[in-house]
Amino acid sequence: MPSILVSLPGALRAKVGNRASVMVAGETVREIIDALERDFPGLRFNLCHETGELRPFVNIFLNRANIRYLQGLDTPVSAGASVHIFQAVAGG
Amino acid sequence: MPHHNTFPQGRTVLAVGTKRGLFLLSSQDRVKWDVEPVTLQGRRVFHAILDQRSGPRLFAAENGDFFGSFIRYSDDFGQNWQEPEHGIQFPSDSSLKLNNIWVIEPGRLNEPGTIYAGVDPASLWISSDNGKTWEPDAALLTHPTRDRWEPGAGGLCLHTIVPDPSNSARMWLGISAVGCLRTDDSGQHWNFANKNTRAGFQPDLYPEFGQCIHRFVQHPTQPDVLYQQNHCGIYKTLNAGDDWIDIQRDLPSEFGFPIALDTHHPDTLFVIVEDPQGRHNVDNQFTVYRTRDAGESWEACTLGLPKGPGVRLGVLRHAMCTDTHDTCGVYVGTNTGQIFASRDQGDNWELIADFLPSIYSVTAAVIV
Repeated sequence: MPSILVSLPGALRAKVGNRASVMVAGETVREIIDALERDFPGLRFNLCHETGELRPFVNIFLNRANIRYLQGLDTPVSAGASVHIFQAVAGG
Repeated sequence: MPHHNTFPQGRTVLAVGTKRGLFLLSSQDRVKWDVEPVTLQGRRVFHAILDQRSGPRLFAAENGDFFGSFIRYSDDFGQNWQEPEHGIQFPSDSSLKLNNIWVIEPGRLNEPGTIYAGVDPASLWISSDNGKTWEPDAALLTHPTRDRWEPGAGGLCLHTIVPDPSNSARMWLGISAVGCLRTDDSGQHWNFANKNTRAGFQPDLYPEFGQCIHRFVQHPTQPDVLYQQNHCGIYKTLNAGDDWIDIQRDLPSEFGFPIALDTHHPDTLFVIVEDPQGRHNVDNQFTVYRTRDAGESWEACTLGLPKGPGVRLGVLRHAMCTDTHDTCGVYVGTNTGQIFASRDQGDNWELIADFLPSIYSVTAAVIV
């Protein structure tokens, strides 16, 4: 299972020991979120609703592509890829 | 000014939840007010309340724009915040997802450590360990009428929780737009308590449920007496909600959000009624209305409150409160960031803060 570098927005860094990025293992974005939850309990709820879907103003990019326009949480992740989590612009 | 992590006995502390953070104001004499540096900066804080039963512990309902809604609590007046070990989250197989946390209500004096919270989608959450872990009331989640509950403009929110101090098995809830519910068996069953309250926005004006209740308070020494501000009128009940009596009288609008009561003189209550379309003061005078006779008559309190063609202030359901002094103080926060205060039961008013973000809630505590 590939190890993936996941970068986090400032608002969530306190949840991961005030780091800007962490390494976790997973073959899909969903598995990466599962791994984040295992390592940092509670973090999944920041990213996803209880029902499992991604929160509407959370954007996850695989390399430079928004996963919403790929296969969503089921988007495969390969070794060497990077995952970036952002809060959406959600402004004017 | 440095952030205080404690306050002296007798000091009045206001917790002001806003669209962008939580503000604490405090005063020893209710004349000069100090504003603490903002905490939970940038977060939508729908409600915050200081629980002094085994504290003080400051609870806040934080609804983030991006990363979810959380109860937070602080034992140093907001310098440091903790998150529950097991917070408010619906079971993953329930198909429900948390939209907003609306209200936090400390339990009865004889149940220290018990805290209640109301959220959207309408559900009651209970912590028995001072906020560390939370569980929902199952009977409300599976209420047989639930699939016919309709949201108000703010969502299907449970916004008012009144645990009866005289009866540990009894509690009232307010849900928009469902109405008032009461349990007499510690939350095993919930029955509607809406008789004679109007739902003027549907063909059946007096349904069993579907009323847009906005806020209600309990009489401190007559537990079967409650007062409510509804989308469609102002009411009181003398029988724990079995039926309600219209006390709108000559108020200029049936529509308003908050209602507050003077605990030392509980026939004295305060309401703010609004233009139902614009949701601001009815004419050019911003007014708090007061009754001194339990709703038999109302008088306009305006001394010190703004007036003019440009005055259009709105006050949300949790944004007016009283303190526990005798003579009681009254505090009103507006959706444009002003706080008006009276330290003489509403006779005279002063602007004690301005330019805050839009205010969602104001609660008062006198440090013990």
